Order: sequence, then C-alpha cells, then structure tokens
Amino acid sequence: MTAISDRRQLAYIAAQAADARVNVELEAEGMTLNIGPQHPATHGTLRIVARLDGEQVIEADPVMGYMHRGYEKLAEVRTYPQVTTLINRIDWLGSFANEVPFILAAEQLMDIEAPPRARHIRTILFELARIANVTLFLGDMGVQLGAVTPIFYAFRDREHILNQIESATGGRFHPNFDRIGGVKDDLPAGWLAETKQSLGEIRKFCDQMEDLILGNEIFQARTRGIGVIPADVGLSYGLSGANIRSSGVDWDLRRDGAHPGLAYNDVEWRVWTHPDGDSFARYWVRLQEVRESCLIVEQLLDSMPSGPIMAKVPRIIKVPEGEAYVETENPLGVMGYYVVSQGGLEPFRVKIRSASFSNMSISPWLLKGTYVPDVITILASLYFILGDIDR
Amino acid sequence: MPLVPGVVSGLGVTFKEIVKTVTKGAETVQYPHEKEDPAPRARGVIALHEENCTACMLCSRECPDWCIYIEGHKELAPPRRAGGKPRQVNKLDRFDIDYGLCMYCGICVEVCPFEALFWSPEYEYSEPKIADLLHDKTRLGQWMETVPDFEPYEGGAEVKIKKVPR
Repeated sequence: MTAISDRRQLAYIAAQAADARVNVELEAEGMTLNIGPQHPATHGTLRIVARLDGEQVIEADPVMGYMHRGYEKLAEVRTYPQVTTLINRIDWLGSFANEVPFILAAEQLMDIEAPPRARHIRTILFELARIANVTLFLGDMGVQLGAVTPIFYAFRDREHILNQIESATGGRFHPNFDRIGGVKDDLPAGWLAETKQSLGEIRKFCDQMEDLILGNEIFQARTRGIGVIPADVGLSYGLSGANIRSSGVDWDLRRDGAHPGLAYNDVEWRVWTHPDGDSFARYWVRLQEVRESCLIVEQLLDSMPSGPIMAKVPRIIKVPEGEAYVETENPLGVMGYYVVSQGGLEPFRVKIRSASFSNMSISPWLLKGTYVPDVITILASLYFILGDIDR
Repeated sequence: MPLVPGVVSGLGVTFKEIVKTVTKGAETVQYPHEKEDPAPRARGVIALHEENCTACMLCSRECPDWCIYIEGHKELAPPRRAGGKPRQVNKLDRFDIDYGLCMYCGICVEVCPFEALFWSPEYEYSEPKIADLLHDKTRLGQWMETVPDFEPYEGGAEVKIKKVPR
C-alpha cells in the first residue's frame, strides 16, 4: 500500500482540514446541539439547531419542512368537496376544526347560509375536536417533564370524545363531515345524551389534571417564570390562540369574530386569560378552555333546533369568481383559509394560515438564553403539531 | 403553600385510579382476544351491491385520489313490454377499489346515485402484500353481508332513513 494516487492524497488532506475546521468552530463558538428531527420531545419531525454555551442556549433555529405535503398545491387540482378530505390531515388531532374555515370561506363565496341545525352540529363537532386535541396536550405536557402517568389518562379519556365523533361522523380522526351549505348527515338517535355523559368524563379528567400536574410543586418549579412571552412581543410574532391569551391578551375569535356559519353567539361562556405569559400560564389557560368547551357543547346540545341540515346547494358545486378569507379559532390558534376562485370546479388558489407555523416562529426569540431542559418544556407548552406547521 | 402539598394530592389521584382498576377492571381491551364493536356508521370498508351499479363512473371521478377502477360495456336487454324495442343497459365488467390508496373519505358512497355503495364497519382485512389490498367486485360484494341497517336519527331531524338493499 505504498502507491496512493495524487487525487486520493488530496482528498485525504481536504478531509483532515475540514475536520480541523469543525474542531476550531466548536472551541470558538460553543457546541451545536441538534434536537431532532427524530426526537421523542419534538412531536414529530421538527429539528432545532441550538448553539450552546455550557448549558445555556445562545441561539436556537427551528428547521421546518420535513413533513411538507403540499396541501395548498394539491387543493388546486381537486374539487371543493374533495379538498375537505385533504385538509382534514393538517392538524390531525383536531381534524374537524380544519374543515370549518375552508367550508365557511366557500360558503361566503357562494353566498349560502347553513340552516340553524347544521350550524349547531358544526359548532358542537368543532368544540369536540378542540377538546380531543387539547386533552392530549394536558397529558403530553407531563411527559415532557418526565411524568409518564398523565399521558395514559389523557389517551384514555380522549377516547370518550373520539367515540362520539366516530358514532356521528364515521371517522375517528378524519371526520370529513362538513359540507358546503350544511353537514353530511344528521346525528344518530341517542347521540346527544351520550355526548353529555362523555363531557362529564372530560370534566373529571380536568379535575384530575389539576391535582396531578397543575398543583404539583415540581411542575410549578419547572414552568413558572420559564419562557415568558410579553404581550407585545407575542402579538408582533403573530401568536394566537391560548398562547397569546396566556400573555394577558383578551382575544378569541369565537367571541370577537364569530362567523355567521357557527353558533357561538347563541351560548354563554367566557374567555380565560392569564397575566403571566409563562409555560405555566399556557397550561393553565388550556385547562380552563377545555372546561369552557364542555360548557359550550352542553348548552348547544340542550338548544338543538329541529329542521333541515342542508341548505339548497347545486349538485355540482361551482364557486363563483371572487376571493374570501375566513379565519376561526382552532384548537392550536387562529387558522385561516384564503380561497381564490375563478368560477371553476376547483379553487384557483388556497392559502392556508396555520396557527402552529406562527406559534413556532417565536421560538428563536423565546429560546435564547434558556437552559437545555427548559427548551423541551417551552416547546411543549407552545403546543404545535407538525402537520400544522409544515402542512 | 396549600394545605395539602401538590405531590400528595397527585399521588391521591393515582391511588384512586389503582383502586378503580383493581375493583372495576382495566379499560384496556386485549385486542385479538376481545374486540370492541365499532359504531354502525364507522367507515371500515366499502361494500358494493352489484345489481344496482350502472357503471356511471361518478364515484371513480369524485374520488380524491382516484383509486376506484371501473370498466363496463353496453348490452342489449330484452324489452320491458312485448313488441317494444330492446333496451340498452350498462354491465359492469370490473369494479376495483385499491385500499392501499383509499383515504376513507366516503365521497364515493355519498355521490352514488343508485345506492350501490355502502359503508361497513368491518376493519380486519389487512394483507401482508400491498397488491392484495386491491379488492375486486366479488370481494366488495361479499362485504355487503356486514353492512348494518341505517340507524334512526336524533329527534328533530328531517332526513329520511335510507334502506340497505339485501
């Protein structure tokens, strides 16, 4: 092995030099830590490149797009009823909530109003999707802090809600139940009473989580004063949903921008805010919101009007020319669809404003100066879903 | 400082759960040995009632990922009345659904104008080979036995209950 060609020798030298350069970088600018893309604490495939100085994060950079599925482009070659099937998969934990803003935008373009019974069913399923989604967060937050028990309780009690969604729509995760001008089918007999029962289970679950997690001294020590987002910074980054409400901003689109296609104006409830803006506040606000959702659903179940579930809609849906932007308060925050139609069977362009993408964009600012174990809790408390970020 | 430390009340929750599990039994269902009944509306598998199908291709066109394959031919059937002209009817040659592609959205069942497609809550048809997930019309016809009757609706509904052809 004496004769090494010139080219090999050059390659060897170049590799040595590159190695040396990396070592110099490590010494000069601290260590680079890759969290993800496959990491149990990142809810999917999110990669965070963190530069560390000892245990402190100097700079954190989220790398998104590992799960990009191109829904905006796919929607352009599908008719309006077909699009709801696709967008179900954006935020997979609260699927029904994804369909609502798109359908509302199409209804606005076509100038159709859903009948009151359809509005009620739609709003009930919207809130059930929120409960199913946030319930999992309430348990998941414990796992991020090293407590494994809560997630089992969360999965168990979420099942009550998923069963109700399944018996009404046919799908546990992907209902595909919302239609332009109403909903697909009416509710099966006995559904209202069963749903009330399962709401009781969720209320019990909320009390359990309050005792198990919220009151726990270790949890409070790990979350109080950690990852504080002041209201003005949060607003400038476009935070929405429970994340901004926990910074003291009293803003909820269910109350402030209620769309006529949803029945939120018929019920009495309140918006919870917290002045602190830390991880603890975000957990607390979400816990109260699940209870408030139970209250909304209960009132809607009691006041279910009778009548048709579909407005008069042509058999072949052609949306007239125009554009509409509708946003609603989804489980993760404000979700909006900007639909441009050119009068055809398919939308010309669909822009999806998903909540998690904006919620995630604050992380470089938020993670600066925190410690490595807190990175996980802060990311968990921001509560994003990867499908919602990358769509 | 609260009266009872948070750690202790948290342990109380888990202790109550243990007592509940020991006395009332666990909520876990040991799947292959015992099974839960899915809801009658559950979208498990699509069944085909072949006599009603006219090969109109509506389901195939409306499918969001185009996983239904239909072929048919026209045939002359004897006239309904004596002395009339022979009728032209569509006969189904091939009706395949590729469950490897299907998104279980139910649009095909919804758009079918002749009530030939139905949802069945049956879910145990996984295959070791992905090519075997392509169900042909005899396999889809066998699922018809498992289709449950449509449930009655909640009070106040104006929708008519449909009937499953047997």
